[in-house]
Amino acid sequence: MHCLTDSAVQAVVDTEADDATQAHVAGCPRCRARVEERRRDMAALAVVMTAEGDVSPALEARMRQAIATGQAVRGATTLRDAPAGSWRRAGWLSAAATAAALALIVFLVLPKLGAPTSLSASEILGRSLETLSSTTGVETLDYELFIAGAMPGPHRIEHVIDHDRPGRFRFSDYRPDGTVEAAISQDPATGRRLHLIRVDDKAYVVDLKVGKGAPLSLPEMGQALVETAISMMQATSDQNLTTLDTPEGRQYVVEMPRVTPASGVAMLDLYHARALIDERDFRIREFEASGTLLKQPYSVSFRLLRRSVRPSAEVAPEEFRLPANPGDIVLSGETAQDPLSDVLAVALREIGRLRGR
Amino acid sequence: MRSIEAAQVPDAPVADPASESLRLFEAHGAGVFRFCRATLGNRSDAEDIVQDTFLKLLQHLRSGGDRSNLRGWLFAVAANACRDRAKWRMRWLPWRADLDRRPVESPGESPDLGPLRAAFAALAPRDRLLLSLRAQGLSYREMAAAARVAEPSVGRLLARAVDRWKKKHIASR
Repeated sequence: MHCLTDSAVQAVVDTEADDATQAHVAGCPRCRARVEERRRDMAALAVVMTAEGDVSPALEARMRQAIATGQAVRGATTLRDAPAGSWRRAGWLSAAATAAALALIVFLVLPKLGAPTSLSASEILGRSLETLSSTTGVETLDYELFIAGAMPGPHRIEHVIDHDRPGRFRFSDYRPDGTVEAAISQDPATGRRLHLIRVDDKAYVVDLKVGKGAPLSLPEMGQALVETAISMMQATSDQNLTTLDTPEGRQYVVEMPRVTPASGVAMLDLYHARALIDERDFRIREFEASGTLLKQPYSVSFRLLRRSVRPSAEVAPEEFRLPANPGDIVLSGETAQDPLSDVLAVALREIGRLRGR
Repeated sequence: MRSIEAAQVPDAPVADPASESLRLFEAHGAGVFRFCRATLGNRSDAEDIVQDTFLKLLQHLRSGGDRSNLRGWLFAVAANACRDRAKWRMRWLPWRADLDRRPVESPGESPDLGPLRAAFAALAPRDRLLLSLRAQGLSYREMAAAARVAEPSVGRLLARAVDRWKKKHIASR
């Protein structure tokens, strides 16, 4: 018998060779050496494969739950093709405070909902809850945001949050011409919180010295609302998960069907929610939600433009400040016990001071 | 390969589909996961496919499907899912470090494995598929079914895949 081919050597190592081939190896030092070398190769391959890791406890737990319930492979949560839908925008009016609160949900829902599986909308939402606190460093998010009843058209929002330093953030709301419509920033390192409000094309900057009390932390407040919203979506038994093929690639759509509004005693009610998720990187690109918050109806929709994450050390402190430009009116003060009334208190004091002149 | 083969569990009589699916997940879940991760190079994708595969298994068992070789069935389903997932991902475009924005994984990995894994990741998809299947202890028949190649060709294709892996590893040093 001639010496073995490479595939025959492989078959010997893989215990797939016939008796004659194995007998040849036993009697041929050259082929035996080749077999030994190939065995070492395959052993190295096994080591590389083992290094791929093991099933994580989280996945194991989810698998046990999914197998026990079988939820992800039946009913409306199964992937199915669907034609492209259009954005629906309810014409409900919403109070400015409600809009602001919902904007926080929007800011944080988008990056936090996380990647979808090819299986279940509920699974996607469960993953989003797991990843809520996973981001570290400074995260920058750019969105196009529309709040029905509170905005004449979509606004561009820039959100910078330092996940390593609680209470350090900046939100900026830009007009279509690029000027800042409103903004709020806070940096515990400087002990200051700044609010920028534009009224009649005049910018007012309220510069507050943060007292010893707990600093206002909009991101943390928003995160709590996000967790509530996601849990509510997850608790809905008939989320739909569908796919869309677009010129940019495949998109997933997670949708909580519209529900009939109840009499409503809950602080936050979600009547409808829909997320469009890019298959390539599993980021949510678009989101819309409607419901009530503190009995006020809301309807928001947005589109993700950009997202980046940088180490905190690489981010200049100026990114957490709102510099006043020439001509801006700057009011200074200190924070009080009620952080939401700080701006109003400073403004009223200033009015009183001016009238006292 | 001994440790992988030792993990194989013979298919026992079915108690109920859910229990059987769990038993098979405990026996083969890690293997399917490693196979998917090695094939796709991404943990979250691999976890998705593991879930998909075992939920399909549950459905398969509930519908009275063939149980003659459930391990082979699992890897075939997972291989198909990996193929589909990879098609979604730019249709098997080669990996480019400058375009890869994913977070770095496996911080605890032995530094010696880096070049071997890099060489593996640089292989063609079919080579990765075959090597991953073999590393999980599948027979040539099972590999042929999962990789959609003729069974007599498996040894030849596998040998070539190993050779290419070695060459890429040597070239990277």
